Order: sequence, then structure tokens, then C-alpha cells
Amino acid sequence: MIIVNNLTKVFQQQNGEDLYAVNDLSFTAEKGEIVVLLGVNGAGKTTAMRMLSTVLQPTTGTATLEGYDLEKDPQNVRANLGFLSGDTGLYARLTARETITYFARLYDVPESKIGDRINEMADLLDMHDFLDKKIDFLSTGMKQKVSIARSIIHDPPVMIFDEPTVGLDILTAKNIISFIHKCKEDGKCVLFSTHIMREAERIADKIVMIHQGKVLAQGSWDDFKTDTGLHDLDDIFIHYVNSINGADV
Amino acid sequence: MNLKKIIVIYKKEMLDLVRDRRTIITSFILPIILYPLLMIGLSSMMSRQEMKLEQQQLVIYLNDTVYDETSRELIESLSQIETLQIMDEAIVYNESTYLDLLQDKSIQALISIEDSLSSTGYRIFNITCFYDETSEKSSMAYRKIRDNLHEIEKVLISKRLEKIKINSEILNAVEIKKENIAPPEQMVGFLVGKFLPYLLIILTISGASVIASDLIAGEKERGTLETILVSAARRDELVIGKYLTIITISIITVLLNLLSMYLSFRHIFMQLGTSMGDFQLPIGNFALILLLMLPLITLFSAILLSISTYSRNIKEAQSYQMPLLFGAIMLSMVSFLPGFELNLGFSLIPIVNFSLMMRDIMLNNYQLNYLFIIIGSTLVLDVITVYISIKLFHSENVLFRTAEEKSLKFWGKSKKDVFNLQFVMVYFVIMIIALYYIGGSWQLKDMMNGLIKTQLLLILLPVIMILRISKTDIKSALRLNYTNPLNFVLVLIAALPLLLLAGIMGQLINYVFPVSESYLEAMQNLITVQDKGLWFTVFVVGVLPGICEEVMFRGFILSALRKKGLWYGIILTAVLFGAFHLDPFRFIPAAFLGIWLGYLAVKTNSLFVPILAHFLQNSLAILITNYAENVSFMKLIIKDEMIAYWVVIPALIILYLVIKGFSIFNPVVIENIEE
Repeated sequence: MIIVNNLTKVFQQQNGEDLYAVNDLSFTAEKGEIVVLLGVNGAGKTTAMRMLSTVLQPTTGTATLEGYDLEKDPQNVRANLGFLSGDTGLYARLTARETITYFARLYDVPESKIGDRINEMADLLDMHDFLDKKIDFLSTGMKQKVSIARSIIHDPPVMIFDEPTVGLDILTAKNIISFIHKCKEDGKCVLFSTHIMREAERIADKIVMIHQGKVLAQGSWDDFKTDTGLHDLDDIFIHYVNSINGADV
Repeated sequence: MNLKKIIVIYKKEMLDLVRDRRTIITSFILPIILYPLLMIGLSSMMSRQEMKLEQQQLVIYLNDTVYDETSRELIESLSQIETLQIMDEAIVYNESTYLDLLQDKSIQALISIEDSLSSTGYRIFNITCFYDETSEKSSMAYRKIRDNLHEIEKVLISKRLEKIKINSEILNAVEIKKENIAPPEQMVGFLVGKFLPYLLIILTISGASVIASDLIAGEKERGTLETILVSAARRDELVIGKYLTIITISIITVLLNLLSMYLSFRHIFMQLGTSMGDFQLPIGNFALILLLMLPLITLFSAILLSISTYSRNIKEAQSYQMPLLFGAIMLSMVSFLPGFELNLGFSLIPIVNFSLMMRDIMLNNYQLNYLFIIIGSTLVLDVITVYISIKLFHSENVLFRTAEEKSLKFWGKSKKDVFNLQFVMVYFVIMIIALYYIGGSWQLKDMMNGLIKTQLLLILLPVIMILRISKTDIKSALRLNYTNPLNFVLVLIAALPLLLLAGIMGQLINYVFPVSESYLEAMQNLITVQDKGLWFTVFVVGVLPGICEEVMFRGFILSALRKKGLWYGIILTAVLFGAFHLDPFRFIPAAFLGIWLGYLAVKTNSLFVPILAHFLQNSLAILITNYAENVSFMKLIIKDEMIAYWVVIPALIILYLVIKGFSIFNPVVIENIEE
């Protein structure tokens, strides 16, 4: 599970002013739960997820992942985490199998188990046909499957998806969504970010709406509906944005 | 760090690279085919070119003002040379017209014949040959004419001698024969040693840079970097794994280069056969060069890796690599220069040391102790650069650097912030160029007058103008603040110890890089009281720099740079201050004083303190140079124009106490006062 407490990230801008990319973010994500970070572009979703995956260091605040502290024990945080984002790439000159094997080794999967794990992945994602083809020759959908496989090869208890469906066609996106459901069924803790309201509604157990680095509201859609009295998802989001910003959005 | 993880990363990178066509071409195929092609091409082209030149018709214009039997004889003999076509134009002679013809290469030489009488009454033919040294054809025409005329001269002289009945053999008093005792190996070494370092360094860097830019900047560009950053590998493991990859490929490249070079040389010499004798190429020397290349390769790899880490994409990495490549080429060319011999100083400068050492190795004339110094010093640099690489790889500002586009425009009505790194750097570069060209020419015309103009117009005025135009409050920006008078007393106490420490640094640098007497003399002249008198000299060399340079460096530049951290600002300002002296030998002492002046500015938060300190440094230097021999205390410290080394200890103690004093009088360091 993920426990986030008052996580804040400040970037120094070129003009010397501070930019609060993430401002006092707190939430928890339980085992077997899908939590969606919902916000427009530039809201701070990616920064928050990069902090949780220990790529960026928080300015203040803390978070733990499976009980491991981000700053004190980043090594174990990463070992228990699968990370997939829409814009990560693959090594074009390696084959799918080589790619997955490389990451299995980076994640310390025992050498004797790597072969079995890859077969499991190939069964699950239907990748047997192109396992030994170079990534360069794969279609977008196939590449996305390789990406999924490389992010989950070490069977992590926590998965983080940073806008994984951006730029994908419907069929490929659907693969990902069904994979996320599979993660939930397997009892993993899933954190998912998107700016698409419908997508959030479809899969979220809990939604954390963020805007300009700050949390607007968190809970389930039903909670939001009763809270605001509105039914349209977009309206609900705009309602919360206006409530902190005045009516200028 | 986990060795197994490093190996995993290393193996993957190697696999990835070996499948890359660019790597294969630049690192493997190019060296194998380059040298044979170069050798075949060069040797056939050279022989063909020479033949062509030999056979070409050369047009010569002639102006014979003498026009008698003997001069005709001279011309007759010249026209015997088959390739020369002599045009006798004595009648319509106009020198400037023919010089134009010579310049546009319609003719290859212009000969003018005049005659005069020697003091003893003998007739002398004065022959001037105009030619164009930059043109091969014209030079050849000159050589042919010269050789021919020398022959005729002999004939003329022997005729004269015959007339007075003297045997012309009387002229052969000295006969010079040349006998080159260098064995053929050494001749080859001499020729190869000149260009080999240059070639090897370029090939190594260009091979390694393709790989290095791909390894990290390339991963950023393709979006794969994040996937390995979130993996269970540590960042230092990633850096070391990639570092080893660059080293491996570079070593293979160098090996292939050396091997290919060796084989093609051997082939050429075997073809030349008898003319060069049957000697062995010095293969042991090639092995030694390889040993010497190893630390250099690791150093280049580390620098290239840092560049790659810093860059956002491959293109950016390549543009940052260019200055490195240019710098390396310039430094490696010292092996072409005559008179550059390896010494302690040069053996500490990267690339220069390799270049000179390689040349010596090819000449079979090297000193083992320098070999160790070179390898040792390069390895030290190596460790530092790898450390920087790992640091960079940990810095999120570097890994996720966004576009830095910043306008340099600061004119306008509103108050603009000129206190930023980028603006200051551009300003500094412009100033240093102005100092070099404008200040330099002013000072060349009139030293003292030039110095005054430089200080006031080039150093002080621009800062004031920038601050006015950007509507900055000058008093607060430059920190013209009131300060505890005791600070001035402390500066006074520290002045002599500091000057002596800087002097000792200069002495040590002098020891490592001995400079010429004439340079020292010029330096000495600067601080020697000229005919204008002591007070004027103190004003020009002490007061003016104290004020003007402090306003520029500790006032303007430090205020901008200290925003990124106090010590960062102080040290970078000091480095710029050192560079501003436009003299590599004064860089270290000047930068050292710059750190002290920066410290004073920050600690006391008043520009007046460094102004006083700077004034004291320069003025004391004048006083000591001119009057030290009259003061018995100074005689103790300075003997034979050298500062005694024991002075370091009391000087450091006094400095330490003064720093303690500053901490007592100025307990709080106020940061970023303008905010």
C-alpha cells in the first residue's frame, strides 16, 4: 500500500520564483484498490508519481510504499514497484525477450525463474509471436505489451501508471485498462493518473483530484455527486476547481 | 554498489551498441579501412602531383635593365630550362602591372636584372626574383631560377678568375656533406610521432562521443531513461555500467586504429623495399602507446559521459562535445610545434602530456618518470570526472532539465533583473574580449594612460550603465553599505600575509612552468615606479583597480552569482576574476585573492572592505618591489627576489586569526539582501 503525507515539491524557476508543482499532497492507496490521480495537464500528477517512484526527491513531506520510506529506503521502494507511463520508450535494437530479461535482472529476479516469468507474461499478454523480434519491428500495441511486461516482471505489490493510455488507440488502451483490472484482482495496489474524466470513472475505487499541485477533493464518484449535487463528471471537476480559484477557469 | 548489477547493465549496453550500425562504422570499420586508403591515396597522389608539377610550364616575365652580353648570357641559360617560358618585356616594363599578373597566377615569377659596382670596382648583377611563396608553382619557378643562377654564378666567377690566371678550385675551401645518422626507425618515429598523437586523440574522441551521447542523452530522448531510473538498479551502478561500455568500445577502436596503422605502415615499407632498408617497425613502442592511451581513454569517456548526462538529447550532447573536440585537437597539436619538450609542467596538462610523450616514445627517447606522472595525474582527473558524472546522475535538475530559453533583453521601462547567471556570463565574455582588443591597444600606445582608460571606461563604466539602464538601485545592488570600522583594521593586518602567500603561489607556478625572462621583466615593469612617481603609480595600479574591479566583480558579478549559493558565487566570481587577468600564469594567484575578496564582500556585506583589500594588495606589491631592499624586516623575508617559503606558516596563522576576527565582528551573513 501507499501512504502519502503532505508531499510537496518546489521547483526553482528561471526567474528565481518558486513553483509549487505538488503542494501538500496526502492520500492512501490500499491493497487491491485502484486510486486515480485526476487533473488537467500540468496539475502535478507526473511530479507526484515521479516522487513516489523515487526519481524526484520531495522538498518536504513523506511517503511510504509497502512500509518503505521514499527517502530512507529508495532501493526497496523501487524493488516493490512497477512503473509504467505513456511516454516511456523501449530499446529499439533489443528483442522483446532481451528487454524483459534485462529488466528482470535489474529487479533481481533469480536467473532460474526469469524464463518462466517471461512465459507467464507472454501467456497473459499474448506475446508469444513476437518475443524474439526486435522492438523496432513491433507495432505500437505490441510495444505497449512489452512495456507492461517489463514493468511487472518482478511481480511488484504496487503498480504506478502515469497516463499510460495517452496517444494509444482504443484497442491498445483497452488492453491496458483490462490489465489494470487484472492487477486489482491479483490484490495489487494501483495508482493511476489521467486527465480523462470517463477513464477515471470507469476504473477508480477512489479519486484524488488535483489542480495546480493542490488536492481539490478526494473520495469516490458517488461521494462527489452527493457533495456537489451535480451529475456530469466535467461539471463536478470544474465545480471543485472554481471553489478554490474563484470563477476564472 | 553491486558488481553483478553493473555487469548486467554493461552487457546490455554492449549488446545494444554492437547492433548499432553507427557504432560499427565509426568504431570498427572506419579504422580498418582508413589507413590503407590514406596510405595508398596519399602516396600515389603525392607522386603524381610532383610529376605534374615538374612537367608544368612556368611563365616568367623578365625585366633586363642591363641588356648586355653577360645579362643576355644569364637569360639564355635560364631559357635552357625546359619548363620555363621566359617572356622578355624589357621595353614596356611596369613593375606593378606584373606584380598583379603574379598575384592572379597568370605568371609564376618576375625577374628584374640590374647591375652595380662593388667598392673594389667589380661588377655585380643584382637579380630580384618576385614570386608567391603560397603558390606551389611559383615556388618551384623560384627554386629552379635560383639553382640555375647559382650555377651561372660559378661559371662567371671562374671566368673572372681565369682572366687573372687563378685556378677556380681556390674557391673550394670548405665542402659540406650531409650524413644523417638517425637510424631509419627513428626517422619513421620522427615523422609518425608528429601526427600520430593528433590522429589517435581525434579518432578516440570522435568514436567515444558517438557512443557516449547515445548512452544517456539518447536514453532521455527515447524515453527509456525513466524506466531504468525506477528499476531496482542504483544510479551509480547505471553510471559505472555505461562508463565501462564507453571505455570498452574506445579501447577496441584504438586497438584497431593502431593495428591498422601498423599494418599499413609495414605494407608501405615492404613495397618501398630496398630504399628504406630492411628494418623492423618499433612494435614495442606501439604497445607502450596503447598503455599510455588507456588512462586518456578513461578520462575522455568520463568527460563525455558527464556531457551526455547533462544534455537533454543527442543533438545537444553533440553540440557540447564540439568544444571538447576542438580543445583536444588544439592541445594535441603541440607535437607539431618545435621547441616543445616534455617537462614537469607539461606532464601535468592533459592531452599536451600525451601528445609530447607519444612523440618521445616514437623517437625512442622518453623518460619513464614522466610516463608515471602522466598516467598518475590522468587517473586522478579520471576519478574526479567519474565522481562528477555520478553526482550529475543524481541531480534531478540535470536529469529532468527543461528548455532554458531566456531573453537577454533588458532595456525597457520596468525594472529588469540583470542579476542572473546567463546575463552575467554574456556580459563577462563581451568584457574580456573588449579588454583584450580595446584595452590591449590602449595600453600598447601608452601604458599608464591606457590602464587608466581601461579601468574607468571598460571596467567601471559598463557596470554603472547596466545598473542605470536596468533601473537597479546602485547603492544596494553594489552593497555600498556602512560597515564596522574594525573590519578595515583586519583587512590591513591580513594584507601582507596574503600578498606573500599569493607571491609564493606565483613562485611555485614559476617553478613548474618556467617563464621567460622577458615576460618576468614586463610584469616587473608594470609594478615598478615609472618616471611618473610613486603616488601616480599607486593611483593607477592600486586605487583604480581597487575601486573599478571590485565594482565589477564583487559588486555586480558576485551579487548575481551568490543567488545559487554563497560559496558557489564566491568561487565562480574568483575564477572569472582570475581569467580576467588574461594570463595563465597569474590565474591561480589572482583567483586565490579573488576568493579572499569575495569572502570579505559576503562576510561584511559591504563593498568598501574588498575595495580597501584590493587597493592594499596592489599597492603593497608596488612598495615591496621598489622599496623592500631598504627595509630590514623585508630583507628577512625576500632574498634574491624570492619569498622565503617559511613565510607560509606565520602568514596562514595570521590569516586564520583575521578570519576568526571577521566572524566575531560580523556574526550574521545576510543572504540575498535585495529580496
